[in-house]
Amino acid sequence: MLSAWPKGDRRLVLVVAVVAVSLLALLPLLTLLWEALIGSEAAAMELGVDGADQVRGTLALVAGEGLAGAILGTATGWLTAECSFPGRRLLRIAQLLPMAIPAYLLAASLIDWASYRGLRIHGLGWAIALLSLANYGYVFLLSTESFAVSGRRLMEASRSLGVGPWRCFFRVALPIALPAIGAGVALSAMEVVNELGAVRLLGVPSLSAGILDRWQVDGDPKGAALLSLVALAIVGVLIAGERQLRRRSRRWNLSGAPSDQPLWQLQGWRAALAVVVCALPPAVALLIPLVWMADGWQNLNVQAWSELLPLAMRSLSLALAAAGVTVMAALLLAIVRRWSPQLGVRQLSFVAGLGYAVPGSVLALGLIVLGGPLALSPLLLLLWGYGDRFMAVSKQGLDAAFERIPPSVDEAAISLGSAWSDVLRRVHLPLLRGPLLVGALMVFVDVVKELPLTLALRPFDFDTLAVRVFQYASDERVGAAMAPALLIMLFGLIAAAALVPALDRR
Amino acid sequence: MDRPSLLRCTLALGGVVLTSAAAGSVNLVMAQSRPPQEVNVYSGRHYNTDKALYAEFTRRTGIKVNLLEGKDDELIQRLRSEGSRSRADLLVLVDAARLYRAQQANLFRPIRSSELNKDVPANLRDPGGRWYALTRRARPVMVNPAQVNAALIRTYNDLSRPELKGKLCLRNRASVYNQSLVADELVRRGARATAQWLRGVVANNGQPFYSSDTTMVRAVGQGQCGVTIANQYYLARLLSGENAADRQIAQKVRVVWPNPTHINITAGGVTRNASNPAAAQRLLEFLASPSSGEGYAAANNEYPLRGWGNNPTLRRFGAFKASQVSMEQLGRRNREAVQLMTQAGWQ
Repeated sequence: MLSAWPKGDRRLVLVVAVVAVSLLALLPLLTLLWEALIGSEAAAMELGVDGADQVRGTLALVAGEGLAGAILGTATGWLTAECSFPGRRLLRIAQLLPMAIPAYLLAASLIDWASYRGLRIHGLGWAIALLSLANYGYVFLLSTESFAVSGRRLMEASRSLGVGPWRCFFRVALPIALPAIGAGVALSAMEVVNELGAVRLLGVPSLSAGILDRWQVDGDPKGAALLSLVALAIVGVLIAGERQLRRRSRRWNLSGAPSDQPLWQLQGWRAALAVVVCALPPAVALLIPLVWMADGWQNLNVQAWSELLPLAMRSLSLALAAAGVTVMAALLLAIVRRWSPQLGVRQLSFVAGLGYAVPGSVLALGLIVLGGPLALSPLLLLLWGYGDRFMAVSKQGLDAAFERIPPSVDEAAISLGSAWSDVLRRVHLPLLRGPLLVGALMVFVDVVKELPLTLALRPFDFDTLAVRVFQYASDERVGAAMAPALLIMLFGLIAAAALVPALDRR
Repeated sequence: MDRPSLLRCTLALGGVVLTSAAAGSVNLVMAQSRPPQEVNVYSGRHYNTDKALYAEFTRRTGIKVNLLEGKDDELIQRLRSEGSRSRADLLVLVDAARLYRAQQANLFRPIRSSELNKDVPANLRDPGGRWYALTRRARPVMVNPAQVNAALIRTYNDLSRPELKGKLCLRNRASVYNQSLVADELVRRGARATAQWLRGVVANNGQPFYSSDTTMVRAVGQGQCGVTIANQYYLARLLSGENAADRQIAQKVRVVWPNPTHINITAGGVTRNASNPAAAQRLLEFLASPSSGEGYAAANNEYPLRGWGNNPTLRRFGAFKASQVSMEQLGRRNREAVQLMTQAGWQ
């Protein structure tokens, strides 16, 4: 929040814009709650045995995945940003591989592959392992960016004072990167709250499955709304915790300037360990579906080749459009967070990110209820849903990046007579180019993988790759699911490759 | 406001608005150009061979079929939410419990068709003419003879025999297939006997509940489970698939037909708010007719509405005596069945 404002600077425009975007984001949720709480017959508002199991299941998943993801993401983020060992550059890029592979695909292929061999993959432990693998990339991306960019000067100073790598990590780099790590953990945990396919396959009770079942199978929208509120509360706590962390460790620094400082040289067993730590997660994430496909290649359904091109084109165009819309909206919210002194507006921009908490299929129902009377086209509703759902993905990174730009820069610009829009264009945007790109690509990858919204909102004859994979996999026809699954991975990998320049700035 | 800032705001908001407008107008154009002879299908089935059947229907009648495939429960919910604005004309669902749910939500329009009444046996259609079966599936017992003596099992009730303790594997309660099976028992044998049977079955369960039939059937073939209950097409798929390892595993599994065997259906009905109900009814009649019904069933190794069909894999499983409980009753008793399963500890 800034104290000095230039004359003639109309923040009102910002306020109006942010209210509009937040309303768009909140409307489906409010509609849903209205439908569930007021629009339906009375039903008992109690969790019940199943509900309690589902809350426990989700909490255990969030805790387990949060911890494992934080450790894995931070370790790989630090090692590949600050240490030198054989294959570092390649391994740095490789960390993005697991993000390209949907968790439900990992679970389905591992379960299927293992069941050939008489192994049973089942339960909480496996769920945590697979979800950590699929989602630690969020922590990696945000933490490594922070390690590589921020605190360089401080680190260099520490190193010149003879502080060793471990102390440097724990005393200097980690505190500076905490907001980014926190944001990454919060994002990955929200992904876990929302995960449906993988946890269901692995037999772990979860809120997301409970919400869907209560709503659709039991015909109990009130019960579903109750569980949604619990899910919302968990995500609220995650977001609040992440912000608290960020506030406590607020340190600004302006760097971005490339450094000549050499990386920490790792040798001998240390280098070997670093290679193993960084190579294992991407290798496992990639090998699970690939080995499964290689194993069952005879099942590859050749009749379905002709449908692949239209499926791929639809996935691609949806993902591109969603990435554009989402990043623009997130940028707007992030700008307001920085510029607007009104607390209410800041809270609104916070609440707008909550769409991430709501299971996609529930959000979809809210949008259907809304979209009907407004006579909106299904595709528009779908984009709206994507924007709502993935706002947090692009916003968290942007917020964290904004935090690193010291307010003194803005103040200097303002004192020189610039309006906020000038500051945005000439100062912020150039500094934010990396996080903006990262945000857009994360949304892109997420949309290509996204299932429940697409499933529920797409128009007639508009299947996407993820929809096909899901339909085949839920019929337990894994062979037919292989080709579209491979394409999803391919798109994810291409997007990941596009992230490389952003990562490789140094 | 100075120019650049105005520009930037317009850009930010304009992007959103433009995208929406573009999407909206595309849709509008599509809606306007819709020729009268089209039928919109919401289907819980996902078989590419279905599309060949729809194409054949179009070739014969000139009526174009637009398809939206999804999960059954999701389609029901979507149709409910869309209400009178829904563009769906025909709803195709799998399993009696879901058909009943859709019927209770008033999603179907009753129709009268002598053709459908002729082609679809009475217990496989709604007495009120709201939905009609298109294919049948059975849920037999599957046994690994090396582990379990198949002669022990003559009815589903035998699955609660103490000799099978630890050898039985079950799919979870969320599976609608098991819910309908329990509803079948409930209708035939009453609540008390069913509750007792369920306690025995759950006591015999030797593994954490499974979330898919295929892994369960494999586990039986590999001997981790001695006996399970699974839909016949999962085994047929493994047996007739391209994967040699799967075929080998599936060879070790023996189908045991309980007397009577629980059967379930895929069925379709014209939607309440269909804008083209006549075309939807024609499509339904086409799909239920013996010639195309065979194709619909073959896509998933299912049985046609009467007899056992020509599928060689299914013929190897042999004949069975189907439960005569009506599909409508299965749906009606679903909730009660789920309650009994929950009470018995079926997770």
